[in-house]
Amino acid sequence: MTEKTKNSHTDKNKIIDGYISYILETGSEPVSVFKFTKDMKMKEAVFYEYFSSFGAVKKAVWELIFDNTIQALESQEIYQSYTSREKLLGFLFTWIEELKNKRSYLLAVYGNVSLKNQSYPSELKGFKAKFKDFASGIVNEGKESEEIAERPYLTDKYQEAMWLQVMFVFRFWLKDDSPAFEKTDAAIEKSVNLAFDLMGRSAIDSFVDFAKFLFQSK
Amino acid sequence: MTNKINEQQSIPVSKVQRAAKFISTGAKVGGNYMKHYAKKVVNPAMTKDELHRNNATDIYDSLSELKGSALKVAQMMAMDKNMLPGAYQDKFTMAQYSAPPLSYPLVVKTFNQYFKKGPENLFDTFTTSAANAASIGQVHKATKGDKVFAVKIQYPGVGSSVKSDLKLVKPFALRLLNMNERELDNYMEEVEEKLLEETDYKLEVIRSKEISQACSHIKGLNFPKYYEEMSSARVITMDWMEGKHLKEWLQTNPSQEARDKVGQIMWDFYDHQVHQLKQVHADPHPGNFIIQEGDELAVIDFGCVKVIPEEFYSGYFSLIKKDLLIKEDELDQIFYDLEFISDRDSAEEKNYFKNTFKEMISLLGKPFHVDTFDFADDNYFQMIFALGDKISNDKMFRKSKQARGSRHGLYINRTYFGLYNLLNQLQANIKTTKPDWIKN
Repeated sequence: MTEKTKNSHTDKNKIIDGYISYILETGSEPVSVFKFTKDMKMKEAVFYEYFSSFGAVKKAVWELIFDNTIQALESQEIYQSYTSREKLLGFLFTWIEELKNKRSYLLAVYGNVSLKNQSYPSELKGFKAKFKDFASGIVNEGKESEEIAERPYLTDKYQEAMWLQVMFVFRFWLKDDSPAFEKTDAAIEKSVNLAFDLMGRSAIDSFVDFAKFLFQSK
Repeated sequence: MTNKINEQQSIPVSKVQRAAKFISTGAKVGGNYMKHYAKKVVNPAMTKDELHRNNATDIYDSLSELKGSALKVAQMMAMDKNMLPGAYQDKFTMAQYSAPPLSYPLVVKTFNQYFKKGPENLFDTFTTSAANAASIGQVHKATKGDKVFAVKIQYPGVGSSVKSDLKLVKPFALRLLNMNERELDNYMEEVEEKLLEETDYKLEVIRSKEISQACSHIKGLNFPKYYEEMSSARVITMDWMEGKHLKEWLQTNPSQEARDKVGQIMWDFYDHQVHQLKQVHADPHPGNFIIQEGDELAVIDFGCVKVIPEEFYSGYFSLIKKDLLIKEDELDQIFYDLEFISDRDSAEEKNYFKNTFKEMISLLGKPFHVDTFDFADDNYFQMIFALGDKISNDKMFRKSKQARGSRHGLYINRTYFGLYNLLNQLQANIKTTKPDWIKN
C-alpha cells in the first residue's frame, strides 16, 4: 500500500468511526458537515473527498459490515467446503457477530424505523447490491449441486428472497432480548432451513411436472 | 416390552374413548404437529429425529415429566403402554425441543462464542455432522492426539423456551391426568425446575463429576471423564464411550448371566445413589446407558439429577418395608408428610386413599421385599398396569380435586419406573440390595 492510499483509508475510517460515536453520544445526526468536521478537527473538504452526505456515511457502514463479514467467512478454511445452505447460514451467523459490534449504533438509527415492505432506507442500497451478488453465487452453486431446484422465473427471484430474509433476521435481532441473542441464532437456523427446503426439489415440482404432462397429453 | 402386541389387542373400550378425546384436544393445540409433519413431507431426510423417537419409545418416558402423585404414575404406565400414540410421546419428552439438527455453521458459531476458537482449532478432527442426537442438542465425535471425545452441543434458546413449551403442554396434561389446574401447577414447577437444570451444561458437568466420583467403587460401572476447560454453558466435552446401546446389545442375544450382570450393576448404581448419596440420576432412559465390552455399563448423561430431601426420603422408603409394622398414627403422619392425604379430606376419603396408597406402594415395593427379584416377570408389570387402570377409572380419584403425593415423588417414581422398565427389558434377575433399615 502506498502512503497516499493508506492515509485515505484511515481518513475514511476516521470519518465513519467519528460519525458512529457522534450518533452514540448525542443520539442524533450532526447538524451539518461543517460542525461535524470541526469537531473532528478535520477540513470539511476531506469529508467530501469520500462522502457526499451523512447518508453516504451510513451507507458505508453497511458496506463495511458486509466486507468484514465476507473476510471473516473466507478466513475459515472449512468455508470453501460448505454446501450452499451452510454458506448462507455461515454468512448470517458471521454477519450477526459483526452487527453485534455496532449494536448500539444500529439501535439508535434503526430502532424505531419500520423496516417493512419495500421502504428500506436508501443507505441499504450498496449493501443490498453486494449481498445479492453474494447470494447469486450461492444460488448458482446450489443449482449445480442440485440443492436448489431450477424453476423457471422463480429461480431468478431467489436472491431477492434471500435479501428479504437478511432483513428479517436484522429486524428480529434488533428486537431480540434473549441472552447472547440465542433466539436470533435459532431464527437464522430455522428460517434458512425452511428456505432451502422450499428451494430444493420437492413434491410440488413433481406435482407441477405431472400436471403439465396431463395438460399437454390431453 | 415383550408382550406389547398381546396387550394392544385387548385395549378396553374406555381407553379407546380416552384416546379419541386426546386426539380432539390435540387437534386444537396441535398446530405444531402439522408443521412438523409438513416439514417431513417436504424433506424426508428429516428422519434424524427418528433417533429421538427411538430414545423415547420407552413408556415411562412419555408422560413422566408431567406426572403427578405416586399413584398417577401407575395410571400413566397403563396409559402409555397401551395407547399413547408416538406423536404424544414426542410432545411430552425433552425430545420435542430437539428440532432438526444444528447446522455446522451454528456449531462453529457456538464454539467461537464460548471458546473464541472454532472446533477445528480445538481438536485435531471434528465430525461436521452429528454422530448422535442428545435430548436437547447433538453429539459430535472429535479427536485430539490419541484421545476420542464426545462433544455435546445444545440448541440455542432451549432454556428460554422451556417455560413457554410447558404452557403449551399444559392443556394436554390437564386432560390426560384428570388433574385440576392448581394441582398441576404444583408439579409443573418441579418439572420446570428440572428442565431448566437440564439445559444448564455447566451444572451437568459438576454433577457428572460428583456422582461419577461417588460411584467409582461400583464394579463394572464406568463413567466418561469430563473436560471442564472444553465445556461451557452450551457445550460439554467428555470421553467417547465405546459400546452398544441397550437395544443393540439385546439384539446380540446376550446370555442370561450377562443380562443379570448388567442389570445388577444398574441396580447397584441406583441403590447407592438413592440411599447413600441422596441424589439420583433421575432419567433411567435406555439412551443414557452404553453397554461396553465385558458386559460393563457406562452412564453418559447427567442432565437430570434429583436431590432427595431427607424428610421425603425417610417417609417414602419407610412405606416400602414389607410389613408395615408402624403404628397407625405414625403411618398417618407419613401420609400427611408425603401429601397423600390432607386436612381437607373427609374421614372416609382419608381412609380410602390411605388404603389405596398402601396397596400401591406395597406393589411397587415388591422387589424390595425379597432378596432376589426376577424382573423378567411380566405378571408383575401386569399387576401394576391393572392397578393403575383401576385407579384411573376410580370415582373417588376423579372427584378428588387435590394434588396427591409430594412433588418430590414425581422424579423418584419416574426413576424407579424407568429402572424397573430397563430391568424388564434386560429380563434380569436382580439381587435387590437395600439399606439395613428397610430390611425386615
